[in-house]
Amino acid sequence: MSKEFWRWPEYRRTVPGKDWKNAEVVTAGVDIGSVSSKAVIMTDGELYAYSIMRTGSSSPDSAQKAMDRALEETGMKLDDIKYTVGTGYGRVNVPFANRAITEIACHARGANYIWGPKVRTVLDMGGQDCKAIHCDERGKVTAFLMNDKCAAGTGRGMEVFADLLSVPIEEVGPMSLSVDKEPEPVSSTCVVFAKSEAVGLLRKGWPKNMVLAAYCSAMANRVSELLEKIKVEKEFVITGGIAKNIGVVKRLENIIGFKALPIQEKFDPMTAGSIGAALFAKALYERSAKST
Amino acid sequence: MEQRLFEKFHEWYENRHEYAKGWKERTGGKALGYFCTYAPEEIIYAAGVLPVRILGSHEAQSFTEPHIFAMFCPLCRDCLAQGLQGRYDYLNGIMIAQCCLHMRQAFTSWQKHIPQEYSYYLYMPHGIQTPRAYPYLRGELEDFKKSLEEWTGREITNKDLDHAIEVYNENRRLMKQVYSFRREKTPRLTGLEAMEMVVSSQMVDKEEHNQALKKLLKELPNRKLNRSTGTRLMVLGSEDDDVEFLSMVESLDATFVIEDHCTGSRYFWNEVIPQEDRLAAIAARYIDRPACPSKDWPKRTRLPHILKLAKDYDVEGAILIQQKFCDPHELDIPAIRSHLETNGIPTYFLEFDVTVPVGQFKTRVEAFLETFQLPTDLF
Repeated sequence: MSKEFWRWPEYRRTVPGKDWKNAEVVTAGVDIGSVSSKAVIMTDGELYAYSIMRTGSSSPDSAQKAMDRALEETGMKLDDIKYTVGTGYGRVNVPFANRAITEIACHARGANYIWGPKVRTVLDMGGQDCKAIHCDERGKVTAFLMNDKCAAGTGRGMEVFADLLSVPIEEVGPMSLSVDKEPEPVSSTCVVFAKSEAVGLLRKGWPKNMVLAAYCSAMANRVSELLEKIKVEKEFVITGGIAKNIGVVKRLENIIGFKALPIQEKFDPMTAGSIGAALFAKALYERSAKST
Repeated sequence: MEQRLFEKFHEWYENRHEYAKGWKERTGGKALGYFCTYAPEEIIYAAGVLPVRILGSHEAQSFTEPHIFAMFCPLCRDCLAQGLQGRYDYLNGIMIAQCCLHMRQAFTSWQKHIPQEYSYYLYMPHGIQTPRAYPYLRGELEDFKKSLEEWTGREITNKDLDHAIEVYNENRRLMKQVYSFRREKTPRLTGLEAMEMVVSSQMVDKEEHNQALKKLLKELPNRKLNRSTGTRLMVLGSEDDDVEFLSMVESLDATFVIEDHCTGSRYFWNEVIPQEDRLAAIAARYIDRPACPSKDWPKRTRLPHILKLAKDYDVEGAILIQQKFCDPHELDIPAIRSHLETNGIPTYFLEFDVTVPVGQFKTRVEAFLETFQLPTDLF
């Protein structure tokens, strides 16, 4: 079987030096996206463990798989989690969730936690859609825009390109920046059209890095339209898988004229939504505890 | 039992073609399809003809590709598709009161490709914000009346017009009374029920519709809906009879309490004020009705009208929809959004097609609703 270059690595992580048994309340957020599923476990509102997995054909199975993986090595059982919020497109299909909240609210809340209360604009570049979100100092959504039906400017499009050019997906961003001169962007961000355009460029003799640069540039252009519409305000952050693609991020920063806050070492930007969900879970748990 | 109060309207809405065919059989009368709600139905009705609004079916199709540009609105293509598929083959004729370019294209294409015994293009003026519009439209109505008389072989008398005006005004009054129950703290009908009631009135003999409304109004004051009202929403913009969308939103702890659509309040909001010159009275009604954006210039009269509706119905948020490529609404929406938001009513915009991506729209509407519904102590 040939190598699948689009395959980004699934992984899990536990924050070192913490014992969940000392926590008063353990909550979780599970974000079932169209491409990846993320489960985050928080102890007293602090990140404790998480997993990032690929979404399968069944949302409930993907949720279970992500949660099982997050729980691995922790000694924790699902029952130890007091409250779980589901989010993402599969939010209503998380079998063990107490409630569902949209990924738009969760990304804003999560970004507020990761980068702090100065965040005003969140760009979530997900697997199959893209959202530009405004929030206040508490991480509450004040306005948002979402791209329409197509997968242009999203992670899935990038995966298709990684496969087409046989470049591992993590290397796409850096390789796209290794060009001497920035090429014109591909004229279409529609994944299907852009792919056939890229094939044409390869036939013309363009090296891979030039083709990737042209695609990353087109994607940045496309996404910048959303930001232009919503009027990007500082501080600005990017969440979702594409936040890790430096080729898109740098080009986007050039277009909008300022930088996004850098990725925080402790947090994977893909988990922003599930972190937000776990924080909502904590607040909802405390609310329910108060009322009983 | 109370849940079935709107069953009749739902049945008419679902079985519109069967109704019209049955009506023709029963009465021996003719049915005339019309393309836009500026059609002066009173005159058609006075001629003993059943006016039937032509609408789409929200199914993906490719019948219209050779006839209408793909960047014309989904509604005009959907309407023409119905004709090309023979779903309105019981119509004896079609007419349009001049409206937007896209609907006109659907009309003229229908005229060209679907044989009719009668068709009429009524020059409803676009420039309605001038006193000259009244006599101009009156003259056009006179011509239309004559044309109908020739077609049906029957004179339309003042008595016929008076009767039609009374039936139509009564329908408007009754629907407004039903709408008053949407103003209540706990509305006694959903937005979907209201839409089906209004749209069915555009296809059913109004006298029959009036009977059903009277029956409904007897029972409506005692109706208790077994659902939470949730967030009080307004929906406005292009034509909207998308059942799937309306019911999806109303499943998210929200209720559409008012709308500004030609499939809703905009259709019936004002009455014909009787005067000796019946045609002048009818002309004034159509000039003065809540405007479609294709005619609402140079002044935007829709802004105060929409804001008043929002305030009267205690609206918390507004969803603005635009049929893809619908230029008149696209031009109006930024001004409406800004007007509503300046007046404290948050808005959200969605672009519609023949079918809507319900999953994605659900996320978007839910996120909009969360801005009202998520309690502040969660942050």
